[in-house]
Amino acid sequence: MSRVNTVLGPVAAEELGVVAVHEHIGYGMPGSELDSRWWKTPEERYEETVPKLRRFHEHGRPYGGGTFVDATGICNGRDVDYYRSLSTKTGVHIVACTGFVGGDTALPFFSRASVEYLADQFVHEITVGIGGTGARAGVIKVGVSRGGRMTDLDKRIYRAAARAALSTGVPVLTHLAIDAENAIAIFREEALPLDRVLFGHADDGVNAAKTRDTWIAEQGGRVGFDTFGYETELDDPPFWARPRKERLEHFLRFVERHPGSALASADANCSPLGWPGVKGHTVNYIFEDLMPDLRAAGVDEATITRLFVDDPADFLSIHD
Amino acid sequence: MTLSSSADNPHVNTVLGPVPPDELGVVAIHETLLSVVPGAEHAFDLAVDRAQVFESVAAKLRDFREQGGGTVVDSSGMFHGRDVPLYEALSRSTGVHVVASTGMGPEGMLGGYFLTPQTNPPTPWPAERFADLFALELTAGMVVPRVERRGTAGLVATAATRSGMTATDESLFRGAAHAAVSTGTPLSIRYGNDAVSDLEVACTAGLPAGRVVVGGLDRADAVASAAALEVARRGAYVGVDHVGAQDDVHVADAERVALVIQLVEAGFGNRVLLSSSATGVAVGHPGNDVPFAAVLATFVPLLRAHGLGDDDVRQILVDNPAGLLSVRPPDRA
Ligand SMILES: [Zn+2]
Repeated sequence: MSRVNTVLGPVAAEELGVVAVHEHIGYGMPGSELDSRWWKTPEERYEETVPKLRRFHEHGRPYGGGTFVDATGICNGRDVDYYRSLSTKTGVHIVACTGFVGGDTALPFFSRASVEYLADQFVHEITVGIGGTGARAGVIKVGVSRGGRMTDLDKRIYRAAARAALSTGVPVLTHLAIDAENAIAIFREEALPLDRVLFGHADDGVNAAKTRDTWIAEQGGRVGFDTFGYETELDDPPFWARPRKERLEHFLRFVERHPGSALASADANCSPLGWPGVKGHTVNYIFEDLMPDLRAAGVDEATITRLFVDDPADFLSIHD
Repeated sequence: MTLSSSADNPHVNTVLGPVPPDELGVVAIHETLLSVVPGAEHAFDLAVDRAQVFESVAAKLRDFREQGGGTVVDSSGMFHGRDVPLYEALSRSTGVHVVASTGMGPEGMLGGYFLTPQTNPPTPWPAERFADLFALELTAGMVVPRVERRGTAGLVATAATRSGMTATDESLFRGAAHAAVSTGTPLSIRYGNDAVSDLEVACTAGLPAGRVVVGGLDRADAVASAAALEVARRGAYVGVDHVGAQDDVHVADAERVALVIQLVEAGFGNRVLLSSSATGVAVGHPGNDVPFAAVLATFVPLLRAHGLGDDDVRQILVDNPAGLLSVRPPDRA
């Protein structure tokens, strides 16, 4: 039986439909909650978020569903009760994560913790639940701290994630795929098959040139082209933006050479928590921009279904 | 009482509003009601029962009051478990004045928002931004994160890294001092490895030393270097604030008594502040389970036995903290 942990409980992978594999309901750096410049009322949050999810759900109908994987780490404003209410009201499956976006987003309690404690935290959130919500995490988030190299803390988190992934069967999502040699060495030491890891943000403007995407695929890892929509053509592009055409061509090249190794997403915030966000960029870029671009480039429907439905379903399924 | 009348009169900002300084009574200047290591609120194995927390802290505050205490200052800033609505209810229920603090530190206790912001490069926050963040807590109210602002902080609190002040600690100190100067609020610092030079950093923003308390001067390294005397000479308050502690870092109460007597004999009785750095409830760390009343119950009798009189005791426990905590609007400083 294939199953995936969503915030409303396990569902069969066959129910997921189109999967946006790396997204955020709302993301903020730890501590941003102290700065009231970013605060919004719950009314504003729902107003900004619900229409985007409803639209995502409607776009996904032809594929039978729609699944939003929230990659917001434990200390970045992850709010599982809120996700549950959004999922119930919109019909979008929401998968929450355990883990950290990077060592530099782990607060002091966790940054001092041992690999064993971190693994216990992840396993508990995957098998018992997150806080008092009863919702179980469906993926484990890890990442590389700012600065370009994995820190010791990053490595402890990767190792703990590998152990938790192995014992629970849920996959690992990474923030950044730079310094992948160190990451893969840890996953190998822990005997986690690399197709259980999505090495993310291989396509962003800052890191694409430094990311060994082909090498990662050759080792058996999955590669995330998951910052689609952060384009230099925008009015207010963030520093990780990239020319639209350049990213698309990179993706097409990669998919042709490594079918089955790529997953795509938009890394958008429905309602950002601790930064301004990027105006107009939503998860619906997948349906409204990316899929049309792929079709225009000659990608057939079977490949699109594989990229957005079948491969993510396989990735997200709990592998016992 | 309207805000304008309170601003015109000398007052201390408690979680239940401004209070005349002479109503504070005996003050414990450096304690923590609820002490949570940042992140511990997400720990899978630490369930916090809010009613239980209330009951535990309330019992300690009642004991403090019964032993003659009047005011507890929660000196761990805005990001170590501070819970303003809880503190309000505790103060109402026990009759103990509670002064809460804004501020953060040291660097290792900060969130990534301040250390690796979403900019390229991820430059840590400069002093001016910390100043604005803290000043808002002194003018618009203390944050209940992403929900509301309540009350007014009565103190700015920050700390330097134990092995020595880092560049970000220095930004914190300068920002905290700036917020203190612009609002007339006092500043509480915990030094890193050099109390006197850290005090100098706190005073570079134009904050007079007389508006600063340097905490932890009963640490063994501070006692060895006679830091307390130099801090007092410069006009700052001397925090002898680990009364009752039995650990490797601080001197024992016997030496602590000697330190206080020495300061009084040198003419610095008007600079001494006593406290225990106790934690009402600690989450995610062992805490310091000393009664808030330790100074009154065990330490003051020792001081008296060594010849301190009523006037000295009153000055240290009542007058000194009232002087420090009184808000001095900058235009009347
Ligand atoms: Zn992301």
